[in-house]
Amino acid sequence: MLGVYAPGDPVINLMTVTSGGENMDDKKAGEDAYIKMWKKLNMDLPVFYFSISSQAECDTLYKIHRKAHRETLGALTTEFGNWNEIDKYYKGLQTFEDKVLGFVPDSASTKTWGRLRDNIGNLYNKKEPKSIENTLSKLDGYVNKINDTLNVLAPALVKLQGQYNDILSNKSTWKKYVPSFNWYGFKNRYHNWITRFAQFDFGISYQDRKPIAKKIGDNIFWTMLISIISIILTYIFAVPLGVFSAIKKGTTADSLTTTFLFILYSLPNFWIATLLIIFLCNPEYLDWFPAFGIGTAEAEGKSMLASLGIRIHHLILPLFCWTYGSLAFLSRQMRGGMLGILRQDYIRTARAKGLPENKVIWKHAFRNSLLPVITIFANIFPLMISGSVIIEVIFTIPGMGRMLVDAMVAQDFPVVFTIVMMVAVLTMIGYLIADILYAFVDPRITYNSKK
Amino acid sequence: MLFKKKDKQNEIENKEAPQSYWAYVKRQFRKNKRALYSLYIILFLAVIAIFADFISNDKPLVCKYEGNTYFPVFREYGVKTGIMKWNEKLVNAEWYDLDYDWAVWTPIPYKNTTIDYKNAPFIGPFEKQDIKSARWRHLLGTNKLGNDVMACMIHGTRIAFLVGIVSMGIAFIIGIFFGAVAGFFGDDQLKLSRARVILNILAFPLAVFYFGVFFNSSIWLAVIAFIAVFILANLLGKVLEFVPFIKEKMNVPIDLVITRFIEIVVSVPVLILVLSVVAVFPPSIFLVMGVIGLVRWTGIARFIRAELLRVRSLEYVEAAYALGYPRWRILLKHAIPNALAPVFIAVAFGIAAAILIESFLSFLGFGIPIELNTWGQLLTQSRQAPEAWWLAIFPGFAIFITVTLFNLIGEGLTDAIDPRLKQ
Repeated sequence: MLGVYAPGDPVINLMTVTSGGENMDDKKAGEDAYIKMWKKLNMDLPVFYFSISSQAECDTLYKIHRKAHRETLGALTTEFGNWNEIDKYYKGLQTFEDKVLGFVPDSASTKTWGRLRDNIGNLYNKKEPKSIENTLSKLDGYVNKINDTLNVLAPALVKLQGQYNDILSNKSTWKKYVPSFNWYGFKNRYHNWITRFAQFDFGISYQDRKPIAKKIGDNIFWTMLISIISIILTYIFAVPLGVFSAIKKGTTADSLTTTFLFILYSLPNFWIATLLIIFLCNPEYLDWFPAFGIGTAEAEGKSMLASLGIRIHHLILPLFCWTYGSLAFLSRQMRGGMLGILRQDYIRTARAKGLPENKVIWKHAFRNSLLPVITIFANIFPLMISGSVIIEVIFTIPGMGRMLVDAMVAQDFPVVFTIVMMVAVLTMIGYLIADILYAFVDPRITYNSKK
Repeated sequence: MLFKKKDKQNEIENKEAPQSYWAYVKRQFRKNKRALYSLYIILFLAVIAIFADFISNDKPLVCKYEGNTYFPVFREYGVKTGIMKWNEKLVNAEWYDLDYDWAVWTPIPYKNTTIDYKNAPFIGPFEKQDIKSARWRHLLGTNKLGNDVMACMIHGTRIAFLVGIVSMGIAFIIGIFFGAVAGFFGDDQLKLSRARVILNILAFPLAVFYFGVFFNSSIWLAVIAFIAVFILANLLGKVLEFVPFIKEKMNVPIDLVITRFIEIVVSVPVLILVLSVVAVFPPSIFLVMGVIGLVRWTGIARFIRAELLRVRSLEYVEAAYALGYPRWRILLKHAIPNALAPVFIAVAFGIAAAILIESFLSFLGFGIPIELNTWGQLLTQSRQAPEAWWLAIFPGFAIFITVTLFNLIGEGLTDAIDPRLKQ
């Protein structure tokens, strides 16, 4: 969906040969290369299974391969609403261009011929009637100046002007407001893309023309590593902290932890990361940690242990920034869940029958309070990738998040869409895992019968 | 006559029983001092946001110039709305260099877009500044280009609040609509004729089409067209209800449909979606607000749905039914007002999240026009110049405080509305 609105022409982005040479052959070759790439990218197919357009629009506009031309024609159809005439005009323009390019000017009129050719090129991008008329009259002037013995150009131009006037005289603006439904079937770009996505064929990046799957493979390691460590750390610290403050409810220790966790939870991690970099990784203040990267260069050639040390040294700050937010969030949830459980009747019963407090809390209360914590797991999973964006950018870690931002800056949309889609899939997997864990932890929950 | 009487009766009832639900919530909220003070501070910040132009501006509030008195700040509003025009002498005036008889400047005599070349790059708040007098000091220093950080902070408040409130406003409308329909009708209360069900389904693509047609001319027109298609479809359905077969009523499990829809929207990773949308389209605050609003309404919808599922079986709703009120009236006048309180929990948290997303985007340099110098953008600038500590501390602190205060209000509301959680 977003692919349609993405700025830039994907074909040109991927092309190595620049089109539009000096003479007819070069232009033809460039055009052919363009069409080849265009077909290779499946751009000659409709976007989706169906489309809803107005009667005025052409339902097979996608078959015109130049994006700029498509835009011009689209703009003209919304303006005048008569596709037939506009199509004729477009074809007339093309034949006129062919004739001009095929024309061999004598030495006196080469310059004018060059101007004429450039102006025809411009005409493809003109969307407003006024500028089209201007250009047409300019063309008229050039054609008259050229020494045209065989008299090929003038009639073609007259024909073109006639076609343009047809557009003006046969306006049907009302058609714009009448919807029409077009069915394209399975031969469409979305279908191709999604089936390829399912086969892990993500396409090619505009930036370096590497396959996206390979790029992701290179980048996913650090994101995964840091996320997994971070998830483990979160659960290790958050669960006991939440339980602790729930048990000690009302004491100073509890209110201190609660306030501390609340502040931690509200601190935006990009602020903390910036502050840490400025004050802890800067010779001007404290130079304790390296500010950037993951220490690949430093770790090269060192022994296992030494390079591990360097890596850890590099990862401490990112890990901290990555973890503290979810840690605070999780322990607050844990506290809330635990408090709710401790109020239940069966806890009172357990206490009444003389069970030691330890057993009451860990065996009866704790197990039951795990339920909400598990649901959060589903949320944490995809959050890891989006959370990684900012931390990876700040600490310049070569992971998925930074790859996403770099791709956005470079307008490398295949990469962007692949990552977005992957996050969506991961989210669904997260929810699935949470559902399964849920049933596992709470035997009352089943998914196979209704009520 | 009849109506007047009823109004009076209502008045009397209200006087006798000031124990309305809202009054109760208010009282409970007031008990929570932390949340109450947060609210006061937020209101103070809101005042700053609203009057940002009067607190920090690159024009004088009042000035006397060549014998005439002008109110440039006010006039700028007039010029922007197209009512007024600048005086010819002042059209392209260099406001700082004019030879005034006298002039009253705003407390911060700079704007977020004002560039002070003399005090650039990165002049700290305590460093020596190249200024006429202490009045013109850059209180919080300047950034690389020479923008006054204090002015950026004040105008940043406005942008943060604008994004938070407008995006939650959009979310509020969408959320209330879906949540109310799902909660009030449930799975068994909405019975529509076949004609209307079919027409409504058919109307959807048509509405999308007309939205697209009008989108280029004006977004409001597009929204109106979108709604109008549905209204027309339902009117047509009403007319068609005279035909025997299609007038049969059928049960629409609307709650099921909407909760499934909510689940889908919830599973969309907000940050990634906002990032990708913002990367594709040219930068604009309104786009950011719109996208946040379109994704963050689910919390609101869930709250009001849960509340309405409870409210719809209460006595007063049944009483309203018994009195023969139409259903839309019961929904709008009786059910929703009494189910609205929990929604503000979601709104408070939502504003906090929206402000965070906005500063996150600014920080990354996406979506928000770069010349605005929002909090996030200031923070990002500090990464280029680690020695400019004022660029790291103040904007970050502003983001932190605003987000925290909104979260505190949300917590306070949660406690006030659901006393069960309090104890």
